[in-house]
Amino acid sequence: MDAYDKGVSARPQPAPPHASRVGIAALSFRYQLVAALALGTVALAACAHLAMVFLHVAPSNTVTKQHGQAIDQWIYPEFEQNWKLFAPNPLQQNISVQARAEVRTADGTTRTTGWYDLSAHDGAAIDGNLLPSHTQQNELRRAWDFYVSSHDTENRPAGLRGDLSERYIRRIVVLRLDGENPGGRGAVIGRVQVRSRTANVPPPEWSDEKIDTRPVFRELPWWSVTPDDVPLARATKVEVTAR
Amino acid sequence: MSRLDRLHRLERPIASLARGIARVTATALGPYQTAVIRIGFAATWLLFLLRELPNRHEMYGPDGPWNWDMAQQLIANNHAFTVLMWSDSTFWFETVYVLALLSSVLLMLGWRTRTMSVLFMVGVLSLQNRSIFMGDGGDNVIHLMSVYLVLTRCGQVWSLDARRLRRAQEARARGERSGADEAGRPGGGADEAGRPGGGVDDTAQPRDGVDDTAQPWDVVDEAETRDGFDSGHSRDGFDDSGHSRDETDTREDETRDRVGPVLWWILGLALSVVTFMGELGWGWLLIFWGLWGAHGLWWAVERRAPGGELRLLLDVVANLVHNAALFVIMAEACLIYATAGWYKIQGSRWQDGTAVYYPLQLDSFSPWPALSDALAAHGTLVMLVTYGTVAVQVAFPFTLFNRRIKNVLLAAMVFEHAVIAVVLGLPFFSLAMITADAVFLPTSFLRRVGGWAARARGVLLPGRRRGSRGEPRVPGQRRGEEPDPESAEQARVGFTA
Repeated sequence: MDAYDKGVSARPQPAPPHASRVGIAALSFRYQLVAALALGTVALAACAHLAMVFLHVAPSNTVTKQHGQAIDQWIYPEFEQNWKLFAPNPLQQNISVQARAEVRTADGTTRTTGWYDLSAHDGAAIDGNLLPSHTQQNELRRAWDFYVSSHDTENRPAGLRGDLSERYIRRIVVLRLDGENPGGRGAVIGRVQVRSRTANVPPPEWSDEKIDTRPVFRELPWWSVTPDDVPLARATKVEVTAR
Repeated sequence: MSRLDRLHRLERPIASLARGIARVTATALGPYQTAVIRIGFAATWLLFLLRELPNRHEMYGPDGPWNWDMAQQLIANNHAFTVLMWSDSTFWFETVYVLALLSSVLLMLGWRTRTMSVLFMVGVLSLQNRSIFMGDGGDNVIHLMSVYLVLTRCGQVWSLDARRLRRAQEARARGERSGADEAGRPGGGADEAGRPGGGVDDTAQPRDGVDDTAQPWDVVDEAETRDGFDSGHSRDGFDDSGHSRDETDTREDETRDRVGPVLWWILGLALSVVTFMGELGWGWLLIFWGLWGAHGLWWAVERRAPGGELRLLLDVVANLVHNAALFVIMAEACLIYATAGWYKIQGSRWQDGTAVYYPLQLDSFSPWPALSDALAAHGTLVMLVTYGTVAVQVAFPFTLFNRRIKNVLLAAMVFEHAVIAVVLGLPFFSLAMITADAVFLPTSFLRRVGGWAARARGVLLPGRRRGSRGEPRVPGQRRGEEPDPESAEQARVGFTA
């Protein structure tokens, strides 16, 4: 790479008279053969890797249609990458995940709490924050993406990933609700329900676009909470009802 | 056209090809660029781990929302590498987290760089693959680069390894000098203290001459030993190279590296345990044992035949791998920008000039609602930023062929990422991207920054100046009239940068 080479050549180089005696030129013929072999292997490996990465990030095309499997085998799991950053279009909807719980209060009555907007909670935690945590920025957002991508519109899970995503969401929700202390002191969570609220971002002031910004809800069925669904050893509040 | 002319025309590309091959086999290119990305990625990951210290159990712990069992099921399918799957105990998790922190610190400082780069990769992959739904683009960059860094000789400058190497050379030079002194040259001490002062020290002139002719050898030797320190344990017998035994015996005790071999044995033992546990697939076993074996081989060759041809061959191979990895790192950075840019071009919002408005309206990426609203009020500004972003990202890979334009664009992108860090609340993503950009920074600029860092350290830690332990600065000076700026700078910069 030219720009880079120039930078390097600014360094003091080995004295020219002996320059030919370093690197491959300093070796005897037998060693040179080995070095040449290494040169070929390394160059080939680097080019092959870059070609694979290129095909991985490129749109579906003739080559990827034919050799998709070979490319995937090379790329996954460690070289997976996705650089469609805010592309082709940035997300234009605020999707918030909300949850409510059915709790049994200390006096033994069962009641349903109101909806807690967990995403709004995250959003508030990010406000004015120079160092937002992944737990505020990615955890719930990506868990919901995972759920949506592994379920059909009837909320039927697709294979292992579907099941896992359901458990994941449930555990996050229980963890977050636990922090909210729903139903007051001594109450225990028996069931939870999750829904998403999707609202289009209103177009900018200067735009004459008309966009419906009324929210759309997607409501999931009620889920029973078992001790297995309670992360970070906070099980005490559920175990009683868990039976 | 005569035959001779045609022959001549053919010769040129062949000659430049030969020059190129000589270059990529003889030197590990971009010592400052690889050092700065080593420091950058290690620091980014370190800061991230520190930031998430209170949340570590929720993110990666065995009983987090994405618990050990769920991770196990997913990893059984995708076969990602993570040592966290070896045990579901909290103790093991804490150990891995601490080791990840520690390896980041040590890689940043450049202590046993090549060994630490492997441990750094293990830490990054282990934590990220454990909870793949926790990361974002920044994690992805660090993930890839941690793998590539293993293949580079990224501790050539701005590292504790470089300092150790320099000190060993100083010790050796002192040995040479004392030999010369015996031969009837008094006043060596004064010479060392303030060498370039001409006149009085004219007697030293011939020695400079000798040193100068020895320079190519010195450079080779430096390159040789670079990896010696890199691999961490090959420095034994360093002093043997080119010196008579009796002269070096006493100094060998001072400079012989004991930590390296110990580290090597410990890691070999750990790797044996892991192998017998049967947790690793044959691919990873091959990689880790291969790296371990390579370090051992290097040490043995360095010790038995430091000037031998096998040693030179190892150096050639290490340079080749380094240069290829550096090329891959640069290409990867270009791919990131190209992908981000070309996909944007296809989006209607990037076309109508409103794209930048939208992320600022999302709850997850708007730490400063007032700022977002203020920006949202300026349609033209939003459009300029939107178009500018796409133009810069698409253009960047092509500007590498022109140094000046490349540097302008580089500055623009570093600035944009700094803005993104604050405005979109993505500090670690931005830091990772800025680090990736830094691989394209010109050497002269990096050295200037190194100089500033050294001066800053001088101001902050005046007591820790070089030479305070009575060790004169030799290598930068013994080349006479023109002190080698590189080693002089290393001397000043040390490990702070």
